[in-house]
Amino acid sequence: MTITVRDEAGPQAELRHRHTARWVAGAALVVGAALVAVLATRPPATATEVDTPLVGQAAPPITGSTLGGATFRLAALRGRWVVVNFFASWCPPCQQEQPELVAFAYAHRSPGDAALVGIVFDDSASTARGFMRSTGASWPAVVDPGGQIALDYGVRGPPETFFVSPRGTVVAHFDGPMTNASLDYWLARAQGGGA
Amino acid sequence: MSDATRRRLRRLAPWVALGIVVGVALGIGASPGGPPLTVAQRVNGIDTLVRCPSCDGISVADSSASTAVAIRQAVTARVRAGQTDSQIDAFLVSRYGPSILLRPPVRGGTAWVWVLPPVALALAVTSLGTVLWRRRQGVAVTVSTDDRALVQQALARRGAPGGRATEVVRAP
Repeated sequence: MTITVRDEAGPQAELRHRHTARWVAGAALVVGAALVAVLATRPPATATEVDTPLVGQAAPPITGSTLGGATFRLAALRGRWVVVNFFASWCPPCQQEQPELVAFAYAHRSPGDAALVGIVFDDSASTARGFMRSTGASWPAVVDPGGQIALDYGVRGPPETFFVSPRGTVVAHFDGPMTNASLDYWLARAQGGGA
Repeated sequence: MSDATRRRLRRLAPWVALGIVVGVALGIGASPGGPPLTVAQRVNGIDTLVRCPSCDGISVADSSASTAVAIRQAVTARVRAGQTDSQIDAFLVSRYGPSILLRPPVRGGTAWVWVLPPVALALAVTSLGTVLWRRRQGVAVTVSTDDRALVQQALARRGAPGGRATEVVRAP
């Protein structure tokens, strides 16, 4: 016995299949292009304020050598607002944040104004020094061999930023890249809080 | 001592013995017996219960991330300084928050994690004991005079010469 399977639609169906395949491929291409466009043009990630146990507590002491070889003591800045920024040259959000920090440091360069201090997070001193130089950063950056300063501040990964009041209290903690505008906003808000 | 009391005591004796054995075993298991732990053993014990802050769900003991290395160093220094496990946990929590501990603390919303299993076990054991005890007691049946008469009739038929066991069917 012979069984014959006949394509009921014949060449016309084949043509229809090809048309459908073209439409599906075209739609996939459009969706893919739209996805790429959205991802490429969306605003970069920004910092979020995080509630950590350190907020409201005395800022852990920071004492160490800067990338320039000087000795740094956080306690020496008592009486001024201090922005403590943990960073690394290998971290893309830190690279994104760096020009904003440069602008902030420049805007607050007058004596007695808010001070900015960087803490090198899991990075070699030479690479971090090159990173600071290449971006025109002039604020002190303290090396943290062994990551003990990062541990004292409960840092999970850079960039993380802490606001320390003139009395030496941690008043805010941010995770992610800050902008010059957000630094100014939060500084003004912290100063208004009278911490 | 009456026979009934003696029988009851004989029945209970294995259970009492089992309870004593389990209690002693649990006591020995829970007690920190043996030689005191070395610094490395204590550090490792703490590190396995601390979450690596920059990793995804693994302990400090299992991670080589810089944050994990820093915590290991800090834990070692604090163990050498004579701090207790609770003091070291408290320090880490003061920096990273309670989420740094892989073992949730026995307080607040996390307390049920610790309380629920023993409570569930106690309830299960009590329920099982109650069910078994009720089964042993049997179901109380009230026997009427009619029932007694039927039984008497059946026994009489059975006891009669040439009598056979007969199924007694009670009229509705």
